[in-house]
Amino acid sequence: MGVMMTAIIAASGVSKTFHQPKRFAGLRGALKGLFNRDYTEIHAVTDISFTIAAGEAVGYLGPNGAGKSTMIKMMTGILVPSGGALSVLGRAPHSHRMINAAEIGVVFGQRSQLWWDLPVRDSFELNRHIYDIPAARYAENLAYLSDMLAMVGYLDRPVRQLSLGQRMRAEIAMALLHDPKILFLDEPTIGLDVVAKDAVRKFLSKLNRERGTTIILTTHDLQDIEEICPRLIMVDEGKLLFDGEVTRLRAALGSRRRLTLTFGTDPGTITLTTATLTADEGAAKHYLLEREDISLLDVLGELGRGHGLKDIKLEEPDIEEVIRTFYQTKPTLAGVSP
Amino acid sequence: MLRHLRVVPHLVGIHVRTYMEYRGALFISWIAQAIGYAGVYASIALVLARFENLGGWSWPQMALLLAFHLLAYALGASLSFVQFRDMEEKVRLGTFDAILVKPIGTWTYLAFSGLNIEYGGHIVLAIGLMAWALASLPLDWSAPLALYFLAAIISAAMLTAALMTIIGATALIWVRSRHLFSIYFGFWELARYPLNIFPLPLQIMMITFAPLGFLAFIPTAVVLDKPVPILGDLAGPASLAIGPVFVLIAMLHWRYCLRNYQGAGG
Repeated sequence: MGVMMTAIIAASGVSKTFHQPKRFAGLRGALKGLFNRDYTEIHAVTDISFTIAAGEAVGYLGPNGAGKSTMIKMMTGILVPSGGALSVLGRAPHSHRMINAAEIGVVFGQRSQLWWDLPVRDSFELNRHIYDIPAARYAENLAYLSDMLAMVGYLDRPVRQLSLGQRMRAEIAMALLHDPKILFLDEPTIGLDVVAKDAVRKFLSKLNRERGTTIILTTHDLQDIEEICPRLIMVDEGKLLFDGEVTRLRAALGSRRRLTLTFGTDPGTITLTTATLTADEGAAKHYLLEREDISLLDVLGELGRGHGLKDIKLEEPDIEEVIRTFYQTKPTLAGVSP
Repeated sequence: MLRHLRVVPHLVGIHVRTYMEYRGALFISWIAQAIGYAGVYASIALVLARFENLGGWSWPQMALLLAFHLLAYALGASLSFVQFRDMEEKVRLGTFDAILVKPIGTWTYLAFSGLNIEYGGHIVLAIGLMAWALASLPLDWSAPLALYFLAAIISAAMLTAALMTIIGATALIWVRSRHLFSIYFGFWELARYPLNIFPLPLQIMMITFAPLGFLAFIPTAVVLDKPVPILGDLAGPASLAIGPVFVLIAMLHWRYCLRNYQGAGG
């Protein structure tokens, strides 16, 4: 991670409430809705506070409808917060939308900012004028990004002829041509194949390390977080659930290791106090080790000899499991809450 | 502001290059649009040939009205119609968000990056018809009248772009706005005819709530020195003021809608 400096993003009690007209079921309901002026309040973001320092790479994670995109839209100046205070690079993003836009880069995984019918280079050239990038700096950045993202071969090809992976690399490059201080990425790896995802992740990680560009990333793919973002902000139903380092979350929740014991023949049901049986396939039995202080030796000691044990497999939980555990146990968690 | 103006030629340039990727379709569209309008005008000419005049307007006078209507509309709509008609898609699909994260005025970006050169056919037809009508009419030209004529075309074009902006901007709050364009084009069709052939409530409507009487009838009547219902002598200055006034209203409305933009979810 880059050198920690002062906070460049500060959210203090930020909320966003959408007002939607009340809807009623059926045709009669639709007609009633025409004359009914009642509104339902949708609390997309509720009282969220955090600060992000220059050079950080932060993953913003949550299930569908958790308020991730809404928060990104507020930080990029697209939406106005309903409450609280939000500052990006020392300014309220919405009231200084254009100044803010000049200093940030935004990549939307599901909507392209490239001109579909024209070569990639044409979109880049237009951005050069919109962002008023000096010619020398533009040439330098274009060379660097084309090289880093392996785009040299298709810069002059129309966007419509590119693969999704090539297009996403071009989107990221376009967002970086003007040297933004912060790069916001809204699900940048969505729909990409494994190779393309890997290329994007490696590049973003390198960009953060070498250029110190602050990265804020929303994603459903937890591997994105694991490879790019040391820090994780987790939200659900608009509320902040966790804000801290991924390693801290793993330390707090990562003790749920999975143990598979394989026997020569089915020894019958084996119940242990050190591990919880989760699946019994006869000769193969699956356990969960829920306590960190229980070691494999403890389990084997309790199991004893005479069962014809042939193989042992102990798996550390991957980040997906850690996150899943977090969401399943969130009401009872202490120590990992923000 | 100056920086934004410097970007405008590049926005227009990239859009024109997009058109040039499908140049055959562009030429066909120009020809089709011109034939479509010529057909409508031919039918009006045929009606006039039978009845000699329409509300006291002869065919050359009607031709001037139709040409003014088409030219002012084409100039204003090339900067606004398709761009703002598609606002609800831009909001629904989130592409409007991608414009909001650029350091440029959203209206400037939308209007010029979508400058519709398909209106070329409209403009050629309108100028041709206008030249014929002006040559056929015994007008007593003077510098003030010529200046008024040009200014009135610009004002009417501004009115068109402003109304399109106002309608399109509502999509930022309501998400849907296309139905309002249907209402606009209802009045736009009526604006091809002399206002005095309509009943008084409709005349009032087309000068106030749906001010498309200013798109062609009022300025043409002023040039031809014909009486203008309701407005009388105020018709000249009002037709010059209407464009800038509506541009101001459109700017305020646009800013209000941007401030209250909620996206379409997600």
